[in-house]
Amino acid sequence: MTLALPSTRQEAWRWSDLSALPTLAEQAPRGGVIDAHDFWIGDGPRLLFIDGHYDAGLSRPGPVEIGRTGDASDHPLARLAGGDGWVLTLGHDHAPSGTIEIVHVATGGASHLPARITLAEDAQASIVETFVGDGWANRFTRIALARSARLMRTVRLLQSSGFQSIREEAAIAEGASLVTILLGAGAAGTRIDAALSLDGEGAFAEFGGALLARGDQRHDANIVLRHAAPGGSSRQIWRAVADDSATDSIAARVEVARGAQQTDAEQSLKGLLLARTATINTKPELEIFADDVKCAHGCAIGELDKQALFYMQSRGIPPHPARALLTRSFVAGALERIGEEAVRDAVLADAEAWLGEAA
Amino acid sequence: MSTRNEEAYAAVEEQSRYKWGFTSDIEQDFAPKGLSEETIAFISAKKNEPQWMLDWRLKAYRRWLEMESPDWAKLNVPPIDYQDAYYYAAPKAKPTLKSLDELDPEILATYQKLGIPIEEQKVLAGVEGSRKVAVDAVFDSVSVATTFREELKAAGVIFLSISEAIREYPELVKKWLGKVVPQHDNYFAALNSAVFSDGTFVYVPEGVRCPMELSTYFRINAANTGQFERTLIIADKGSYVSYLEGCTAPQRDENQLHAAVVELVALDDAEIKYSTVQNWYPGNAEGLGGIYNFVTKRALCQGRNSKVSWTQVETGSAITWKYPSCVLAGENSVGEFYSVAVTNNRQQADTGTKMIHLGKGSRSTIVSKGISAGHSNNTYRGLVRVGASAESVRNFTQCDSLLLGHDCGAHTVPYIEVKNPSAQIEHEATTSRISDDQLFYAMQRGLSQEDAVALIVNGFCREVLQQLPMEFAVEAQKLLGISLEGSVG
Repeated sequence: MTLALPSTRQEAWRWSDLSALPTLAEQAPRGGVIDAHDFWIGDGPRLLFIDGHYDAGLSRPGPVEIGRTGDASDHPLARLAGGDGWVLTLGHDHAPSGTIEIVHVATGGASHLPARITLAEDAQASIVETFVGDGWANRFTRIALARSARLMRTVRLLQSSGFQSIREEAAIAEGASLVTILLGAGAAGTRIDAALSLDGEGAFAEFGGALLARGDQRHDANIVLRHAAPGGSSRQIWRAVADDSATDSIAARVEVARGAQQTDAEQSLKGLLLARTATINTKPELEIFADDVKCAHGCAIGELDKQALFYMQSRGIPPHPARALLTRSFVAGALERIGEEAVRDAVLADAEAWLGEAA
Repeated sequence: MSTRNEEAYAAVEEQSRYKWGFTSDIEQDFAPKGLSEETIAFISAKKNEPQWMLDWRLKAYRRWLEMESPDWAKLNVPPIDYQDAYYYAAPKAKPTLKSLDELDPEILATYQKLGIPIEEQKVLAGVEGSRKVAVDAVFDSVSVATTFREELKAAGVIFLSISEAIREYPELVKKWLGKVVPQHDNYFAALNSAVFSDGTFVYVPEGVRCPMELSTYFRINAANTGQFERTLIIADKGSYVSYLEGCTAPQRDENQLHAAVVELVALDDAEIKYSTVQNWYPGNAEGLGGIYNFVTKRALCQGRNSKVSWTQVETGSAITWKYPSCVLAGENSVGEFYSVAVTNNRQQADTGTKMIHLGKGSRSTIVSKGISAGHSNNTYRGLVRVGASAESVRNFTQCDSLLLGHDCGAHTVPYIEVKNPSAQIEHEATTSRISDDQLFYAMQRGLSQEDAVALIVNGFCREVLQQLPMEFAVEAQKLLGISLEGSVG
């Protein structure tokens, strides 16, 4: 398949840099022995994918099956992710034991992998996905949550080079809840795409995270969160940190359809620039067709608060640790939304590792 | 009511005696329908323009031919046939009416509410035989305008139609025309550059504080600026000028497309205040007819400590596409944008601003109030960009939307691009409606529902309205109430 990539002239891609993809798509993965040991958090079901291929030997999939997802998307990157992938289907009131962990290891080249998550009424699950290695990892996840189902997703984007593109499309029914928190650290370029639709009354969606970039790294998120039914609420909390000549871009849109009254949508996009040459772009967009709604968005971009730094120094904390402490608390604002302690600690540790390198 | 307000009303009344005096001379000949190099040569010849101006227009036209109409705005613009329009003088082809009784009763009612004298109503509506009145008014105001001209001349301020300026001050025009909004900036700017009919030229010399508010009302020779207006204002070092544009009375105009370009230049320590009240015909309740208002307005704050302040009250037009912007190139330069945009029935507005921070210590403030009612759509679209070398930039943006009714839409599309860590950028937005409690409180105090809505809406817009020169503010307040009539309840 020839690679047809969107251009920056297209509104949804105006801050993207996909220039690395054609080369990566041509290359073949190196393969070899991979040690994924360090990336497992708990003892629940786990799946290991190497360059998009399932490694049965090192996995214990629990309720997750490998097979055709049968989904197609017309999204320019997601449509590349066809074929076999992983499928999680949970029946009524069902919950797997423990957090499901999926580690994607890339060894160069390109890998495309679809996934499908279907939760029946009152079902619950928590999934952590971790991306490591190098190369282009392209993922497409389709999610359907039935009434009162609950899904907690955590995505760690930790590749040391290459590119990670993930696309999430979700339909959330009455009273169901979807929470997705991402951490973009590592050193690879990132494109995060999501189209979430709150289709049922009183549905809840949260999509946010922390994007940490240095060198000439680029994180680029484009989120569309649609309130299609009344009484829904949503949160998009993002924290972006850019150092050196890196760029973080976040375009987050809330759409309130006609009739989706009593919507409560909140967006908070904050950026922290650590260097002169770094860039942060944000676009907190609202599209509202109902009159009885609460939609607030806040956005702030700047450097570390000089007064806070001065205060800490006056208390005997040297400048360097003071900066690190403030940056850490800035980032934690988005990551503390992760519900499970073990997962939260692991993600905070990833962020910490990144921040430590800055020191 | 306080005496201050009485004075304001008196001032409005005073002004309104002159402001409709300017209608185009119907005997003027006009270029044939359609757009071609011949049409442009005709316009240029008609205006006795020098060769360089014609070349400039033709260059713009050739660029325009290669450009595409922008489609990124949240607007539904029907295809425009550029060959099915007149580009010179034919505008103002208002339907001739025998008496005011033939006028759309809605427009008539609005005239009455705004307190426009009956003779002026006739002029506005284009009633047969009313030209005499207009001529009288013109004569009247010619003398007024001349007195003002004398006073301006004494101060050294050049205030002319752009056609006159091209002839009388070619060097100044050549130096600045198209510098802030280049010909190829966008589709409509290119079109305007090719065919602009007339407009205003203002030059305020070094150190001069313009002795009066300049307004299009008080200008002769530029009556027919309607369709493709071109405005160029240059404030030299240390000068100040306040410029008012537009009018509050609704006007019928068969020109569907209005594509104006406004360029402002502020040099060291200069300040320009530009206020607009726009109330072009918005079309009827079903969205038929109405003006397309596709305007490019941009200011270059080139000098140190220069300042440009845009204030706009947009209530008219079927479709509005307008982003008054500031390029803050000078050190410590200041850009401001205060906007109220009201849409009702089937109106569509996509409006906002761009603040491009390039100079150290530059600051900008954006306050945007969008009010949507009926089946309308109102979008705020703004850009705040901080260049890598712009240290200590500050921006504060606030966009509030008010929705009246279930069928309208309010959208906010802010772009924030920051390349310098010392920048402090804040953006806030809210979306709300008039609560039943507010309405109930106002009504149990004896206000009718419409008055209550008008009061609450005026409160919502207060931060912007208080930026307007006083007489404009009074008119604008009345206008807001009228624009929203019938939208609640």
